[in-house]
Formats: sequence, structure tokens, C-alpha cells
Amino acid sequence: MLELYGQIEEAVAAIRTKWDVTPRAGVILGPGLGNLAEQVEVEATIDYGDISHFPVSTATSHAGRLVCGRLQGLPVLAMEGRFHQYEGYPLKQITLPVRVMKAMGAEVMLVSQAVGGMNPQYKPGDVMIIDDHINLMGDNPLVGINDDRLGPRFPDMSAPYDPELVDVGLAIARREDFVAHKGVSVAVTGPNLETRAEYRFLRLIGADVVGMSTVPEVIVAVHCGLRVFGVAVITDMCLPDALEVANVDEIIATANGAAPKLRALMEGILAQEAAK
Amino acid sequence: MQHLRGQVEETIGAIRQSWAGEPTWGIVLGSGLGRLAEEIDTEAEFAYADLPHFPRSTAAGHASRLVCGQLAGVSVVAMQGRFHLYEGWSAEQASFPVRVMHALGARSLLLSNAAGGLNPQYEVGDVMVIEDQINLMFRNPLIGVNDDELGPRFPDMSAPYCPQLIDKALATARANDFLCHRGVYVGMLGPTYETRAEYRMLRAIGGDAAGMSTVPEAIAAAHAGMRVAAFSAITNACSPDMLGETTHEEVVQAADSAAEKLSTIVKALLTAN
Repeated sequence: MLELYGQIEEAVAAIRTKWDVTPRAGVILGPGLGNLAEQVEVEATIDYGDISHFPVSTATSHAGRLVCGRLQGLPVLAMEGRFHQYEGYPLKQITLPVRVMKAMGAEVMLVSQAVGGMNPQYKPGDVMIIDDHINLMGDNPLVGINDDRLGPRFPDMSAPYDPELVDVGLAIARREDFVAHKGVSVAVTGPNLETRAEYRFLRLIGADVVGMSTVPEVIVAVHCGLRVFGVAVITDMCLPDALEVANVDEIIATANGAAPKLRALMEGILAQEAAK
Repeated sequence: MQHLRGQVEETIGAIRQSWAGEPTWGIVLGSGLGRLAEEIDTEAEFAYADLPHFPRSTAAGHASRLVCGQLAGVSVVAMQGRFHLYEGWSAEQASFPVRVMHALGARSLLLSNAAGGLNPQYEVGDVMVIEDQINLMFRNPLIGVNDDELGPRFPDMSAPYCPQLIDKALATARANDFLCHRGVYVGMLGPTYETRAEYRMLRAIGGDAAGMSTVPEAIAAAHAGMRVAAFSAITNACSPDMLGETTHEEVVQAADSAAEKLSTIVKALLTAN
């Protein structure tokens, strides 16, 4: 991990040439949250290709640029398009933007992801505020010699998602009158979706939803001391005994349908941060 | 794995230049247990950096040397400080010293670690003799083309930890009037400590304690046909529904309090035969 420090400095320098503001928050936009970027009062947009050491996103429905500006009056750095382990990137590279957010001055990270719902109480289009996670990706972005300038060797994980922000998120959902669950997300490598037997296994070990992202970013956010607020959008239900073939178009449509709820949660959290 | 035998021979060559002992036991000392090495009547010691092909320890609380000599009248080769996968070493590298111990003549291996207690009956400072393991590290030291000279392609794992040594350890604890649990160790990649949801998972799948070491060494030892005894010092109690923060300092402190019990057991095992 000793190579990261220099990479972060260079990436920050590249961003500073176009946007020399200290962000209060970093936002990672998964599918369905893409249109939150439209709400940003944009001051600069930077293609990932123009930022040293940033990988380039290949996933469908993900753009690949950093949107810099204001949301709810708060200076934010928003990633439109993100990187996944299944694309072949090492976790250290996937999570570099999180370290860059921290180095730019952000205090809090907001992250969203599309997930399959396994808790039978959930419905497609519901949102779940992530209370905790299980890392089943078989890897960890912190493997290697630790750089103590970036964070501790053995980060505590008793509360990776800020409990106060979880409560604020739930209160926003009540106020705006929509269902928001609170639950456990398990991260797998992908890119294949799970078998029925795997869904049973993941449910058995205590997960409510399953996805292929977010956990690496959250581990690094905890490592570098960012508070985290995470939202999972349930884009389809993964009930092993009534499993249907996944339809990517439907999944994207469901994600887009949930966008207003996500926006309410994210903007509500940012508004609260702005009031601090 | 075809390159391993040549590497082991070169490491042995370096050791044999200043030590001709015939060790019966190999010992790997984990977090906080390193001071057992101070009780060894040292005949030779080697900084890892001076041994060809040896990785170097980067973890806090770990010294970095191979100590050769007599412990409780038995010839031993002991690692003071070990290698972890979270440091970036491959499972093959992390278990390389076990191959070296075997090649030096050791046919019994003693492993110790600091672990988080998952079983609600366990308390900080307790010791657990490892009866079985679950490998959740997503790594295996035996991946690659197998070298049949080192061990079989598909090692049996029905009893990676020697049942007779487990019994002897439990008897020693009774004779000395302290508690020693017998349980299942889950090997995790780390370096993050587990989340609450992960602790619940590990308990649900049958784990009694969780840590970030031991499993690669035990697999390599099983491959080499060694007898293994392993112990966990329970350095924090991972109760997911009343989880406090875990700090590395607390872990090291609790390991120290378990060290005395482990020292008693280790000496009894060494002199058992």
C-alpha cells in the first residue's frame, strides 16, 4: 500500500487544477443514483481518464466522470460511474477515489448500490439503509504493508456505517412517507448472479441483500476515517424458491423508479451536514 | 509449488552453517506469545532478513527471528514473529517456514495465535486448543502444480490437529487448574476486524474463535504430514450485540495474560514424548 500516498497526491493535484474547493462530502453514485448528479450545481466535471491513477469504468449504465459542485449548498465530489472487482480491477485501485475524497477534505461518504433482495419482507424498488455488511469478496483493499499515514493496520469494524446517519436516514424516510429498511448487505465478487443454493447460503449467514460493490469503498472509508452513509436499492428479488431469470432492463427500470427515494435520502443527509 | 523444494534447501543451507541441531518440534509464536522464545536455551538465531526466501514480518508486536535451541530439554526451532496474508504475503510464502522446519527434521508443529472469541462462553484471556478449522481466507498454500515429494495433491483434512495432543493439552490445563476450551478456529484474511454481521455469520457456521493466521501453516503442515497442536489466546470477546471497539493494544494485552497458561501447556506437550 506504500505506493498509494503518492498516487493520491497526484490525483488530488489533477482535480485541483480544475476545481480548487474543499468538498465536505464524497458521493458514489450507483445505478439509479446517476440522476442525482443532475441536481448538482456543477462547477467542474472531470473525466476519470484525466485524473492520474483513476481506472476507467466499463460497466453498462455507468458513466465515468467526477462531478464537482454543490448539493444542498454543500461542496461535494460526486463519482458518476464506479469500479467493480468483477471488471478485473484490484480493490486498491477501485477504492483510490475514496482516498482522494478524504485527501481533498471530505468528512463523510455517501454511497449507493443496486442489490438483490433476499429478505422476503423486501420488495423491488424498496430502499435499504445499510446498517452493516459481510465481506465475501475473498479480498480486502487493505492487504499489503500498511501506510500509517493513511490509516491504522487493523481498522475496527464494529460500526462501519455511522449509526447516527442511519437514524437520520430512517427519519427522512418516515418524514417523506416511504418504506426504508435497515439491514445487512453481503458483497460477492460476481459477475455471475447467485445460484439458488448461493442465495440460501447468503440468507443463512445473515444477509438481507446481496451486491457486487460498496464493501471495498466502505472498508477504505473506515480506514481513512470518513463517516459513511450507505443505501441499497432493491432492484430485484432473489428468493431461491421462486427465482426468476434476471432481466437487466427491468433492473435498470426499477432502479430508476427508486431514484426519488434515494435522492430524498442523500439530499436529506447532505442538508443535515450543511447545517452542521 | 515446484520451486519450493529448491528454496527450502537454500534456506536450510543458510541455517546449517551455524546450527546442526535436530529439532523435534517447530514452534510458531503469535501475538503476545513471543516471550516463550526467551525461555529457549538458544543455540543459534537468525534474523529473517538473513535467511534466503524467508519473508519479513511487518506486523506490530512481532519480532522477526528464527530461534533454534532447547526448550524444556527438547530441541526446537521457533519462529518469533510470523507472516500474515493481510501483509500481502501469499499463503505459500506465509507457510514457507513450516516447510523449512519440516526439512530441518521437525515432525511436530506447535502454532499459537491471538483470536477473537465468538463462542459466548469464552472470556478475554482464556485459551482455546484448536480442534478444527474453517478456512475463510479465500487462499490456500497448496494451489499450483503439486510437488509429490512435499506431500499429496489432495491432503486429508479429517483431523488437521492431532487428537492425542489435544487431549494432552486439556489434561495439562486440568492438572494446573485453569480453563482451556476446545473449539473451532476460523481463519480470516483481515486486516479489518470483523463487522457485527460477520461475527454472527462466523458463529452461525460453527466458529468458536476467529483470527488472521494459523490456517495456512496448518494446511502446509498437514500436507507435509506433520503432527499439529495449535492454541488461540482469546484476546477480545466478539459479542455482536454488544460489540465495543477493538484496538490492537487491547489484543496484545489480553494475549499476554493468556501467555502463562499457554507456556505451561506447551512445555507439557514438548516433553510428552
